[in-house]
Amino acid sequence: MAHELASQSLLYLDDVKVSFDGFKALKGLSLVIEPGEMRAIIGPNGAGKTTMMDCITGKTRPDEGEVLFEGGSIDLTGLDEAAIAELGIGRKFQKPTVFESHTVEDNVYLALKADRGPFATLFHRLSGAEAARIDEILETVHLAERRAELAKNLSHGQKQWLEIGMLLAQEPKLLLVDEPVAGMTDAETMQTAALLRRIHASGKSVVVVEHDMAFVRELGVKVTVLHEGGVLSEGTIDHVASDPKVIEVYLGR
Amino acid sequence: MITHFLLKGLDRRVVVALLLILAVAVLVPVLNLVVPEGSPFHVPTYLVTLFGKYATYAALALALDLVWGFCGILSLGHGAFFALGGYAMGMYLMRQIGTRGVYGDPILPDFMVFLNWKSLPWYWHGFDHFAFAALMVVLVPGLLALVFGGLAFRSRVTGVYLSIITQAMTYALLLAFFRNDMGFGGNNGLTDFKDIVGFNVQADGTRAALFALSCLTVAAGLLFSAAIVHSKLGKVLVAIRDAESRTRFIGYRVATYKTFVFVVSAMLAGVAGALYVPQVGIINPGEFSPANSIEAVIWVAVGGRGTLIGPIVGALAVNWGKTWFTGVLPELWLFALGLLFVLVTLFLPKGIVGTISDLFARRRAAPPVDPTAQPQPAE
Amino acid sequence: MLFGAVLPAAAQDISAALVKLTADGYADTAEAIGDLATSGHPRAAVIVQAIADKTLEFDAATKTVAIRDGGKVVDAATGDAIAAPPAGLSPVRVNNRVRSAISAAMGALTLMSPDPAKRRDAADAVFKSRDQGALATLDAAIAKEKDGAIREALRVARAAVILTKADASETDRVEAASIVRERGDQDAVSLLRSLPSDTPKRVQDAAQTAAKAIETTLALWGGVQNALYGLSLGSVLLLAAIGLAITFGVMGIINMAHGELVMLGAYTTFVVQEVIRSHAPALFDWSLALALPLAFLVSGLVGVLIERTVIRWLYGRPLETLLATWGISLILQQAVRTLFGANNREVGAPSWMSGSLDLGALTLTTGRMWIMVFALIVFLGLMLILKKTAAGLQMRAVTQNRAMASAMGIKTPWVDALTFGLGCGIAGIAGVALSQIDNVSPNLGQGYIIDSFMVVVFGGVGNLWGTLVGALTLGVVNKFLEPVAGAVLGKILVLVFIILFIQKRPRGLFALKGRAVEA
Repeated sequence: MAHELASQSLLYLDDVKVSFDGFKALKGLSLVIEPGEMRAIIGPNGAGKTTMMDCITGKTRPDEGEVLFEGGSIDLTGLDEAAIAELGIGRKFQKPTVFESHTVEDNVYLALKADRGPFATLFHRLSGAEAARIDEILETVHLAERRAELAKNLSHGQKQWLEIGMLLAQEPKLLLVDEPVAGMTDAETMQTAALLRRIHASGKSVVVVEHDMAFVRELGVKVTVLHEGGVLSEGTIDHVASDPKVIEVYLGR
Repeated sequence: MITHFLLKGLDRRVVVALLLILAVAVLVPVLNLVVPEGSPFHVPTYLVTLFGKYATYAALALALDLVWGFCGILSLGHGAFFALGGYAMGMYLMRQIGTRGVYGDPILPDFMVFLNWKSLPWYWHGFDHFAFAALMVVLVPGLLALVFGGLAFRSRVTGVYLSIITQAMTYALLLAFFRNDMGFGGNNGLTDFKDIVGFNVQADGTRAALFALSCLTVAAGLLFSAAIVHSKLGKVLVAIRDAESRTRFIGYRVATYKTFVFVVSAMLAGVAGALYVPQVGIINPGEFSPANSIEAVIWVAVGGRGTLIGPIVGALAVNWGKTWFTGVLPELWLFALGLLFVLVTLFLPKGIVGTISDLFARRRAAPPVDPTAQPQPAE
Repeated sequence: MLFGAVLPAAAQDISAALVKLTADGYADTAEAIGDLATSGHPRAAVIVQAIADKTLEFDAATKTVAIRDGGKVVDAATGDAIAAPPAGLSPVRVNNRVRSAISAAMGALTLMSPDPAKRRDAADAVFKSRDQGALATLDAAIAKEKDGAIREALRVARAAVILTKADASETDRVEAASIVRERGDQDAVSLLRSLPSDTPKRVQDAAQTAAKAIETTLALWGGVQNALYGLSLGSVLLLAAIGLAITFGVMGIINMAHGELVMLGAYTTFVVQEVIRSHAPALFDWSLALALPLAFLVSGLVGVLIERTVIRWLYGRPLETLLATWGISLILQQAVRTLFGANNREVGAPSWMSGSLDLGALTLTTGRMWIMVFALIVFLGLMLILKKTAAGLQMRAVTQNRAMASAMGIKTPWVDALTFGLGCGIAGIAGVALSQIDNVSPNLGQGYIIDSFMVVVFGGVGNLWGTLVGALTLGVVNKFLEPVAGAVLGKILVLVFIILFIQKRPRGLFALKGRAVEA
């Protein structure tokens, strides 16, 4: 039964447990993301959102449980960050991290899907197709005019977009996006929602972790509520918003 | 592919520096050998050797900058790679002495005869051939860097922890090379050299040639480093320096990249050490002392880490200062060096070259395009 | 001579032996020495010593045997001066055979010396020479000896003689083997193992059993000794590293000048002792007690100064701190070299720290023992300060959450300065202790800096208990490696071990885990 579910999924987490020095960050988290799905994940601080991302991307190894990718065919728990990234899982951090002393376009250039071996990069020459792809991505994330500037000179919101652009450049099958609109103006938030919807429409699976309920509503996708290291509720935003358990622990505060 | 790779490194600043170094490489030997001694333009041989020594320091600084300035790895053990290259060269030079040693043994170096050894240890074999020794000059430091770096980077030892264990590495080697049973001459090291590829190491001509060779090494190192820095790999290195885990999450194997640049850097340091030894005429375990490695770090910091010209400028400036001080006010040298460490870290974090290019960039009021002109704190 | 009178009169006749000395043959001389040794004559020791010193002379014609003492000549047998010595006097000649006879005889002769130390040495000499001629003297000496330990030594010496005496009875020899076993050292083992092959089997077996028993005990003591010396080295490491555990472990500052602050503590001790020597020598035994608070103040104040002028600008940039403090270490070294000279300075030990302590087969110098005790006191004191005082609470608050501590009204810059000063002050205190076992020179600090960092990193950063366990472990491991690998190689192995250990556990023995650490 469980493995039938896995075989139809893109990402499959089953009973994942992680603890740090006795503190249980994840207590048997299970989650299934289907190919082409966009999912919003909400939950109060300490619910285990970031730890879940860490488990998927290879930063943290779960103590117990399964983390499978691509129809259950690949076990992610034994792989390192680079291998998982190469499989097609891209991650945007909560705090925007771009390469500050590189130009905007170099940031995208480095993220561009290509051979990641040191000798391949040592002798790499930027091809016409790559240049075109960089242009396209910079257009998508509204940074074409600032392409030659150092990334550290961008505003907070622009750094978030640049990071999303870098995610796109990786051409992942699954995007994990951690709090993409933190610190953004309302206009930027709406633009970001539109951007994510467009990315989703292009056939990619997206997992968005967010606090901002207006933004989640704007996305209009299935929502999973995490609480104390497990799933509390799952469904449409209206469904979870009316779930008494959710109201008690999260919305009710 | 290779030419393209090398040409890409040639920005204007590097070209000027290369031409300058090459000019010095030709000019100083000419002023030493051709211009007669009475002439005010004559460069005495002791200065040729002194400058040759500085040039090898500059190459070491360049090697260190490659890992520290561009990849954020502060190695406090780069002197070890320099010394290993030096020992490889020293072993070749010892084998060239032949029967001219004090004990006249055709095979065994003097110190082995003195220790009553009967035959050459296995690891001394082959060092009578220059080509073999030259290979070892790069292979031995490279191998140590590969093993040490490979282990440390794979285990994600970073920052000060890495600095501390690199220091422990060179300290362990220092202790090891002090031991007579290691077969490297113990406390006294290797010295009393006679010939290098058939030329007398003391002769003016040889010294001038070694000087020119040291300059060429700096030039080649500069060209090669510039090519690396301007390649996509160089951009990955800077990315690792600025945001290591981000680099990992977009799919680069950080450990592999760090090991790669660490090994390249160790090899360059080894070559520098190999050129240092015939010019100063001795190599002993003191070269492994942690203080030496840290001193090399200050050359890079003074010149400007994360710039390619900086380490060369820094190595020349600090060592010229050292020569001047130890000649005029020897007891003040350590005060001066100590203050230099403090003042540079407090007031000149970008070093001489980094600060100057910042000034230029500000005057032009255009955002600097060259990422190397903008060094970031390593941590 | 006190004991001359109690010996039987017959034993005192040495004239036959003296005549043999005039024969001028090595064999005769050796024989004469043997006779003298067993004679019990009060002058025997003097005569044998004179042969050894080549001051014993003889004249074959007049059968005179005399001792030349500077300008005068005395009669060998009586010690009376000879007014007109014969012209033919010439020294008794000595070769190797005579020399060994002399040492055997001296062993036997001094068995009766009034000086207990000499008697003890003599017993050992007989144990080594196993001179059968000494047996009679030994018996007499055992009967007379009042000092228990010397008596025991004499008994063992006698047993050694019997054990190797081919004509003694098997039972006696077997019993002798078990007495030799009581000696329990390496010399006893080599004696028991080196019995000639014609020794009866029963004796051989008894000797082998005894040798094995000794070796087992020795191995056990060896282990205990290594552990004890290891703990002693470990407490030195602990002293050197404990200040660093605060500055590096708790505050995250890479203080490369830490060793120099230890050195300042040692020089403070030197200055205190100099002042005491010239103004109040009676207080010398109090010099270390006086030096402790002063060293704490000197190093602590220098530490605060370093923090206020340099380090506070570099928080969050550990690699820069490393370089700047290295520069400071050079300045401090050179400053001390300029003030006090480059040579080692003599720091004396107060009387209560000299001497040594016997623990079974082990000897531990009192100084080392005090350092172990002192290291523990400093460690526990520091724990108390950090855990139980208000200042300690503020220090921990600031290092754990600077912003929050600041919001709660803690003056974080001062807490930083004082915490750093505390770490440095403790380095100074360590310097007082280390001045007792190390050379006080400007380079003193350099010898400790790498070891100290290794201890803190190995033990786990931010954990004082880790530093304690790390220091003691490294000390003990080092001492167990030393006999196997040699001192230098042992140290290299420890360094390599730590390097590999850090690969496996980058955060040390007692690491904090979890998300907070990675941030």
